[in-house]
Amino acid sequence: MFEHDDDTLNRMIDRLREPVEMDPRLDARVMARVASPGFGMRVASAWEWLRRPRAVVISPITGLGLAAAIALLVWFLPTRAPARGESMASDVTPVQFVVVAPGAESVSLVGDFNDWDARLTPMRAVRDGRLWTVTIPLAAGRHRYAFLVNGARWLADPSAPRAQDDFGSPSSVVTVGG
Amino acid sequence: MTTIPRVSGFVLVVALLAARAASAQDPRLEHRLDSTTLAAVGALMDSARSAGLPVEPLVQRALEGTAKHAEPDRIIAAVRRLAGELGVARASLGRESSPAELDAGASALRAGVRPEDLTLLRQRRTQSLTVALAALTDLVTGGVPPDSAAAAVLALASRARDDQIADFRRAVERDIALGATPAAAAAVRVDATLHEVTNAAANPNTPRKP
Amino acid sequence: MRAGDQAAYAVLVARYRARLGRYAVHMLGDRDDAEEALQDAFVRAYRSIARCRDDAKFGAWLFGILVNRCRTAGRRASRRQRMFVRDDASLARAAAAEPPEAPDWDVSIRRALDRLAPALREAFLLKHVEELEYEAMAELTGAKVSALKMRVLRAREQLRALLSEVERV
Repeated sequence: MFEHDDDTLNRMIDRLREPVEMDPRLDARVMARVASPGFGMRVASAWEWLRRPRAVVISPITGLGLAAAIALLVWFLPTRAPARGESMASDVTPVQFVVVAPGAESVSLVGDFNDWDARLTPMRAVRDGRLWTVTIPLAAGRHRYAFLVNGARWLADPSAPRAQDDFGSPSSVVTVGG
Repeated sequence: MTTIPRVSGFVLVVALLAARAASAQDPRLEHRLDSTTLAAVGALMDSARSAGLPVEPLVQRALEGTAKHAEPDRIIAAVRRLAGELGVARASLGRESSPAELDAGASALRAGVRPEDLTLLRQRRTQSLTVALAALTDLVTGGVPPDSAAAAVLALASRARDDQIADFRRAVERDIALGATPAAAAAVRVDATLHEVTNAAANPNTPRKP
Repeated sequence: MRAGDQAAYAVLVARYRARLGRYAVHMLGDRDDAEEALQDAFVRAYRSIARCRDDAKFGAWLFGILVNRCRTAGRRASRRQRMFVRDDASLARAAAAEPPEAPDWDVSIRRALDRLAPALREAFLLKHVEELEYEAMAELTGAKVSALKMRVLRAREQLRALLSEVERV
């Protein structure tokens, strides 16, 4: 009787462990609440301060230097932040990478899209440095990558499939359709 | 005895020349590998190139090794292994395969997928195999047995779009994370995906998921 | 900067939704309540993410917020139920008037879980469905390991009894 009862209990547990689909629209509802007016009060007042026109006096040489800097910035930066999955050009897709790394001083995205050079794609800290993120354009295909924390610790992406490891430190893969 | 130093000198000159040749092949490696490793990796790249295989994956594997401060022997072994896998992928997928397909195919073989299943995939799917091969690899590395993963992807091969195959892989991964057995998760999700693919074909005006 | 924060957080929400949703649905027994608890948990986590100390434990920390949200939601739901007159004897007589059909297994599971006290249900789900270690459960719930073990044991005993009633029908 005891074993039979346990069999029934185990059947119940197996059933409860099965995946439960949640409405994916829940994500949008969460983000709508996160972006609600109560949240944005400080941002709105800061934006107002920025918008208000002011007179600024600069020397001609400073002006030339600023113009050159802006020109370089425009040349190197993407023209906009496109939505995930939307192509900026016909053969690249912007892909956003996010990692939770509180207390990190620096996090870099390193992979075969930047020749495994940790200097090329630093990630940006958001949420008081708890989240690190970057969006980069990736060509169609399969890309190996990892996060490098403080220039010393390799971290795989917990949200991505693992790459088969050749070197004793974790890597991940992302596949971009083409 | 002066023979040994002369032989050593000869070997050194050859190694330097080989390193110079290898670096002429890819300057990215020159700055990151020592001369001996550069020569060995360069030789592997030459062989791959002669066999009509893409060399960029080999360069990237070597660069990954240097970034992770791997021992030279380990870098050379990794590049050699990948070169072998690219060769088998090409034999299985066909000479007309794109570099991205071969790279994805090599990953699938490394994960334990049989070459015959790569050939079957080529036979069943007319469009690019990169995403399908990647999904197959990720299913296997995520715990789905290679034969179950191959059966699932082959079932979808002739009818599902790339985005549907990618969604299928993600759904299986979620189910496994929630406790489903990998083979069962793949079997359940492939049925659901085939159903969705069939419905989409019957109702072409139904909007695709964003 | 705010848009970048939110875009990054949206990635985390999508990542954790399914995993956390299962617990909320089974704990609360009502999908709408579960989604509301889940939304609350995500929003609270966004506001207080500075308190998450360790990147490896983000999921567990988020889960702890959800467990608390479910407790609050559960208390609200039970207050709603007490507004209706419950006369178990009348219900039993009404049920006995019709020949009972073999209940659907999912319905039986749901009824059995609902009959557990919330603390027992919580401990049972965390241990057997979410497969947490007792130490992790203690961190999430604030209860001692010994108390949690007792709750899981009592939950199992009660569920065995409830499920065997179902099978005798």
